[in-house]
Amino acid sequence: MAKTLSLYVERNTFIHRVDSINKILYVLVSVAIPLILPYKFVAVLLILISISFLLLAKVMRRVIPLIEFSVIILLSIVIIQGLFHAGNKTVAFHIARITFYKEGLSYAFTLSMRVINILLAFAILVLTTKPSELIEALVKKGLSPRFGYVLSSALQIIPQMMSAVGSIMDAQRSRGLETEGNLAVRIRAFFPLIGPVVMGSLIETRERAMALEVRAFNSREKKTFLNERQNLRSDNVIRLILFSILSLSIVLRVLL
Amino acid sequence: MNRIEVKNLRFSYRRGEEILKGMDLTFDSESTAIIGQNGAGKTTFVKLLKGLLKPTEGDIFIKGKNTTEVTVAKLAKEIGMVFQNPNDQIFKSKVIDEVMFGPLNIGQGMEEAKGNSLKALELMELSDKVDENPYDLSLSERKLITIASILAMDTDIVIFDEPTISQDYFGKIRIKNIVKELAARGKLVITIAHDMDFVAEISERVIVLNKGEVILDGSAEEVFLRDDILKSAYLEQPNITQLCKRLGYDRTFLALKEFLDYRLAEN
Amino acid sequence: MKKIIVENLKYRYPLSENLALKGISFEVEGGEFIGIIGRNLAGKSTLCQALVGLVPHFYKGAYSGNVEISGMNVLENNISELSKKIGIVFQNPFTQITAAKLTVYEEIAFGLENMGIEIKETIRRIEYVLHLLDLEKYKDRNPFELSGGQMQRLAIASIIAMKPEIIVLDEPTSQLDPQGSEEVFKAIQSLSREGITIMMVEQKIEKIAQYADRVMLMSDGEVVDFDVPQKIFLRDDLLNYGVQAPVFTRVCRSLNIKNKNTGLYPVTLDEAYELMVRHEQNRS
Ligand SMILES: Nc1ncnc2c1ncn2[C@@H]1O[C@H](COP(=O)(O)OP(=O)(O)OP(=O)(O)O)[C@@H](O)[C@H]1O
Ligand SMILES: Nc1ncnc2c1ncn2[C@@H]1O[C@H](COP(=O)(O)OP(=O)(O)OP(=O)(O)O)[C@@H](O)[C@H]1O
Ligand SMILES: [Mg+2]
Ligand SMILES: [Mg+2]
Repeated sequence: MAKTLSLYVERNTFIHRVDSINKILYVLVSVAIPLILPYKFVAVLLILISISFLLLAKVMRRVIPLIEFSVIILLSIVIIQGLFHAGNKTVAFHIARITFYKEGLSYAFTLSMRVINILLAFAILVLTTKPSELIEALVKKGLSPRFGYVLSSALQIIPQMMSAVGSIMDAQRSRGLETEGNLAVRIRAFFPLIGPVVMGSLIETRERAMALEVRAFNSREKKTFLNERQNLRSDNVIRLILFSILSLSIVLRVLL
Repeated sequence: MNRIEVKNLRFSYRRGEEILKGMDLTFDSESTAIIGQNGAGKTTFVKLLKGLLKPTEGDIFIKGKNTTEVTVAKLAKEIGMVFQNPNDQIFKSKVIDEVMFGPLNIGQGMEEAKGNSLKALELMELSDKVDENPYDLSLSERKLITIASILAMDTDIVIFDEPTISQDYFGKIRIKNIVKELAARGKLVITIAHDMDFVAEISERVIVLNKGEVILDGSAEEVFLRDDILKSAYLEQPNITQLCKRLGYDRTFLALKEFLDYRLAEN
Repeated sequence: MKKIIVENLKYRYPLSENLALKGISFEVEGGEFIGIIGRNLAGKSTLCQALVGLVPHFYKGAYSGNVEISGMNVLENNISELSKKIGIVFQNPFTQITAAKLTVYEEIAFGLENMGIEIKETIRRIEYVLHLLDLEKYKDRNPFELSGGQMQRLAIASIIAMKPEIIVLDEPTSQLDPQGSEEVFKAIQSLSREGITIMMVEQKIEKIAQYADRVMLMSDGEVVDFDVPQKIFLRDDLLNYGVQAPVFTRVCRSLNIKNKNTGLYPVTLDEAYELMVRHEQNRS
């Protein structure tokens, strides 16, 4: 039962200690800025900043599989846009007899940068914040615990699926379904997984909801927090910086 | 020959915390029980036999095949295992599909698989639940489904990880008969259980596992005689054995009938 | 005072044709230790769910009758509010883990945080239950990386820590080692002596015989009998209900050794031992 239902990586770094609300704000700001300032270098800059934070938090290794996964999606964006983007005029290059266009590729590049940017910003949030801490922070801000839990589960959906896949695969290979071997075998083993994983997740969600209810989760009482996080002076400073950067980008947008 | 050989087996889930600390064991066609305190490593051990976990050190041979050299799926033709938690084993939404999954994968034809599955379900008295969704059934029924799923595969080696969880008197008898019958048919059966009365009744051989090491290995009489060692391993003697010991009998009685017969002869 | 009042409780699961509970009525006093026994599918777990409000708030379906827990009507209160008065340990410990926390320690804290218990008290209670269930070594472990028995200990610990007035336990020792079960029964007994009401489903008949004040025998959605263990285990028709009397009772029955004062067969090891020794002395 190797179920570790979280992507959180325990490390003792500055990034880990940053208030989770600030991490959420960071995600929002880094999503917003490339939309406000739609220049390629802005997105690239943000990506570099996020990567530095991930390195500082010593969790970059955990991000690599995420990036690998998204490369597949990005590659398909590049190909589709490169070939079929509505504004395609200028020929960029040919592969075999297929023509790629500059406009499409440029658009695909911008889009890819944005996706990677969002992904990395989320990675900072998910990899360096304990789910329980995130719920707590939100509940203290006046959100309902239920919403906090739903949000946190949404962020945990990938490890949850992965652990479900792991235990179902164990059940299947235990009874003779080949899951180990070359790529063809593994692809073939993938299909019998889909149904059980989806159904298993639904049932599990139901069971977890029961577990929460009988532990007074929706009680009207004002909650206490075991590991109450002391507010740090740096929290406000960080918040201020984030807001300033956001404001600055809006000002720039208006001026330029 | 149905044979399992375990040589200098060591295993850890994480570095620095060894769960199994060097086990050397041989199993042949017989009914063996493994007992031991919570966290002793029983489930870990049988998952290693099944190939689901790989040794950190040492080797396991299932009918001569090293578990690190064949896939779990290939091994499944020889060795079936009932998981401790049915939630980890059941994944289909219809009882009959769940039970037929194994037989179909190890090469039984459609008809044969269906026949074997229905027979196994009948043995578990689940014939009227064939078309139900396992998730709507109670824990005891779910456990029986997992047992039926393994019986239908008719493997030479069968492992039961705590088969009697939640079973009532009849359920326990049913499982007891199955274990005995499998052993009588020359299969190699390994059962993990915490119910000492049950263990005393089903096993020819009992192994006590404590903190990742085998501290006792012998016939049920031999093992249940060693009250001191059992206590140190968080175990106890079967109920009737405890009573007879208190009454001052030297013999280890493992069943009520045995004791009553003895008294009758005594008088 | 009556802690639990159940009146003519009927319940049918959605999509199911038969009633799982067919008009159950009983009352339990504060501080009683009640054992619930009966064959598989008798409706034991369903009754447990009905006591804590999972039936009918979580499991819908057809429901009638009345359940009152410590003066609170189950229909009129939600599960979370009820859970402060009545705790439940599920039959499958795996389903009890909330997955909201990453360590055993925090998992136990979860219920207390939700109840707004102050931190000092929370820590005190966690230390207490960790010790009680022998989980100290695993306090920083992810709850999903425990063995089956350890997970069951965690489920029990999480509920005891909430200090409800009533605790419902659905086969809480089914995966525990023999000494672990004995310790849990002892711990539960001392809780009941402190005034906490216990409703425990069990297949371990010898333990129920030893620890329960009264035993409820269930069959096919009904309460067949509800009496002290000596009376319940005297019944000739027990096997029809999937229950075998304790081996101690069966020994004495075969040898016709009764308690002279009550005229009943013994149900525990201690009692059987004493009566058998006295019987031998009388014979010689
Ligand atoms: N996935 C895991 N990751 C890390 N440690 C684990 C994992 N599974 C089990 N363990 C630990 O390994 C030890 C042995 O566990 P195992 O499940 O083999 O015990 P067991 O003898 O089957 O116990 P039980 O009687 O409670 O089922 C325990 O201390 C347990 O906490
Ligand atoms: N979720 C469910 N949906 C539909 N029917 C159910 C559900 N859970 C239980 N039942 C049915 O209700 C009846 C009572 O089941 P319940 O689980 O209460 O019995 P039990 O006495 O606890 O049995 P066990 O000893 O197997 O735990 C059974 O017929 C069972 O099949
Ligand atoms: Mg185990
Ligand atoms: Mg039940």
